[in-house]
Amino acid sequence: MISATDLKLTFGKGTPLENPALRGMSLTVNQGEFVTVIGSNGAGKSTFLNALAGEVMVDSGQIIVDNQDVTRLPTHKRAARVARVFQDPLAGTCENLSIEENLSLAIKRGQTRFLTSAVKKRYLETFRSSLSSLKLGLENRLGDKMGLLSGGQRQAVSLLMASLTPSSILLLDEHTAALDPKTAAFVLDLTTQIIEEQKLTALMVTHSMKQALEVGSRTVMLHQGQVVFDIAGKDREGLEVKDLLGLFEKQRGLQVDDDSLLLG
Amino acid sequence: MLSDIAFYGALETGLIYGLVAFGIYLSFRVLDFPDLTVDGSFPLGAAVAAVLLVEGWNPWLATGMAALAGMAAGAVTALLNVKLNILNLLASILTMIALYSINLRIMGRPNIALLTEDTVLTPWYGIGLKFHQVSVALFVIVVVVALVLLWRFMKSEIGLAMRATGANPRMARAQGIATGAMIVLGVALSNGLVGVAGALFAQSQGAADVTMGVGVIVIGLASLIGGEAVVTPSTVLRALIACVVGAIMYRLAIAFALNADFLGLKSQDLNLITAVLVTLAIVLPGVRTKIANKLTRKQA
Repeated sequence: MISATDLKLTFGKGTPLENPALRGMSLTVNQGEFVTVIGSNGAGKSTFLNALAGEVMVDSGQIIVDNQDVTRLPTHKRAARVARVFQDPLAGTCENLSIEENLSLAIKRGQTRFLTSAVKKRYLETFRSSLSSLKLGLENRLGDKMGLLSGGQRQAVSLLMASLTPSSILLLDEHTAALDPKTAAFVLDLTTQIIEEQKLTALMVTHSMKQALEVGSRTVMLHQGQVVFDIAGKDREGLEVKDLLGLFEKQRGLQVDDDSLLLG
Repeated sequence: MLSDIAFYGALETGLIYGLVAFGIYLSFRVLDFPDLTVDGSFPLGAAVAAVLLVEGWNPWLATGMAALAGMAAGAVTALLNVKLNILNLLASILTMIALYSINLRIMGRPNIALLTEDTVLTPWYGIGLKFHQVSVALFVIVVVVALVLLWRFMKSEIGLAMRATGANPRMARAQGIATGAMIVLGVALSNGLVGVAGALFAQSQGAADVTMGVGVIVIGLASLIGGEAVVTPSTVLRALIACVVGAIMYRLAIAFALNADFLGLKSQDLNLITAVLVTLAIVLPGVRTKIANKLTRKQA
C-alpha cells in the first residue's frame, strides 16, 4: 500500500518563475490496485510520480509505503519498494550494457551489491524465460548491447526489469507515449499482462483518456496539483471518453467558479 | 632507429602510463567524470613512496601507501562534487592545485633522490636479466595483475553498478544504486591506480619530484584515446587492453620522434609532439569512418 497525504511542492520558490506543481495532493493506492492517472499538461502528474519515486523532495506532506515513512528518503533508498518505467525508452536501460547486464542490474534492485560476479549463471534461465514471454526473440540475444534494440523493445525490457523483483508499487510514467501506435499497443498489452499475472500494485500516468479507462481498476484525474476526481468500481464501468470529458469540464468549471468566487 | 635502451625505456614508461590510463578510463569513460586530480595524485604517489622508502619501509608497503594516498585524493575530489555540488572538472582542479602544496609538505623539499634506496626493483636485478629489462619485466606483471583485477571488478555487482552510474544515473538510482557513493569509490580507485603509477615511476627513475605530475592527464588521455583508436573498446576487457596498448604506443611514438635525426626534433619539443599526437588520435578515427563511408558509397 502506498499513501500520499497533502503533498505540496513549489518549483523556483521566491523567483519570478515560481510554479506550484503540487498543491495538497493526496492519494492512497491499496494493495493490488491498478490506478490510471490523467490530467492536462502541468497538472502535476509527472511531479507526483517523481515525488513518489524520490527524484524530487516535497516541501510538505507525507509519503508512506508499506507503513514506512519514505518522505525524506532519496530515490535509491526507496528503490527496493518502488519500481519504475520512464517515458523515454532510452531512460530505463543502459545502452552500453548488454541485455543480460541490464537485467542483472534490475534483479538486484534495492538490494546490497557485492563483489561477486554480476551476471550469474543461475539468473540466465529466469532471463531467458521472461524474455521469451515478450515474443521478440530477445531470449537468444542476451549478450547484445541494449543500444541495438528499438525503442519499443527497450521499453518492453524496461517493463520486465521493473517486474523482476517484487515491489510495493510500480510507477509507469506515460511509458507508451514515445512509441508508435502499434508498439504502444503492444507495450500496453504487456503491461496489463504483467500486472495481472504478478498481481502488482501500479500507478500509470497517461495522456490518453481512452487508455486511462481501458486498463486498470481505478482512474484518478489531476488538475492544478490536486486530485479533482477519483473513480473506481461501478462508477467507472462503462464510462466513455466523453463522460470523462464531461466530468473534467464540470470539475474545471467548478474550479473557475471557485476562483471567481475567491476573487469576487 | 631506436637503441635497445631507448626501446625498453619507452616500454617501461608505457607500462606505468598504462596504469594511469586505467585510472583515466575509470573516471572519464566509466563514470563520465572528467578528473584532472591525476596531475596531483601522480606526484603524490611518488612523494609518499619516496619519503617512506627513505624511512626504510618495505618498497611494496610504501607503494601500497601511495595507492591509499591517491585514493584519498580522489575521494576528496569526488566528495567536493557529490556533497558540495561543485562542478566535477572544477572540483578536480581544486584538489590538483591543493596537492601541489601537500606534496611539497610531504617531501619537505622539491625532490627526493632514491638512487641509494631499496626499491621494488632491487630484488630483481639478481635474476639474470639485463639492467634495462628488469623494470619492464616487473611492470608487465604489475600491469597484467591490475588489468585482471579491474576487469573482474567491472564484471562484479558493484562494478556493474558503477558502470550504470556513469552511463545513466537516473536509471541507476531507480535500481537502488547510491550513485554518489559509486562516484566516490570510482574516482578514488582511479586516483589510487595513478598513485601506484607515480610510486613506481619514482622508483624506476630514481627520484620523486614535485613537478613530475605536469601533463600526466594529457599523456593518460592520449594513451586512452590512441588505444581506443587501435583496439575497438567494445567490451570492458578490450577497453582495458586498449589502455595499455595506447600507453605503450604513445611512448614508442615519442621515442621514435625524438630519435629520428631527419626530423630534427629535440627533447624540448616533447609537449608539442604530445599535443600533435593527441589531436591525431582524436581526429583519425573520424577520418577513417569517412573514408570507409566513401568507399562503400562508390561500390554501391
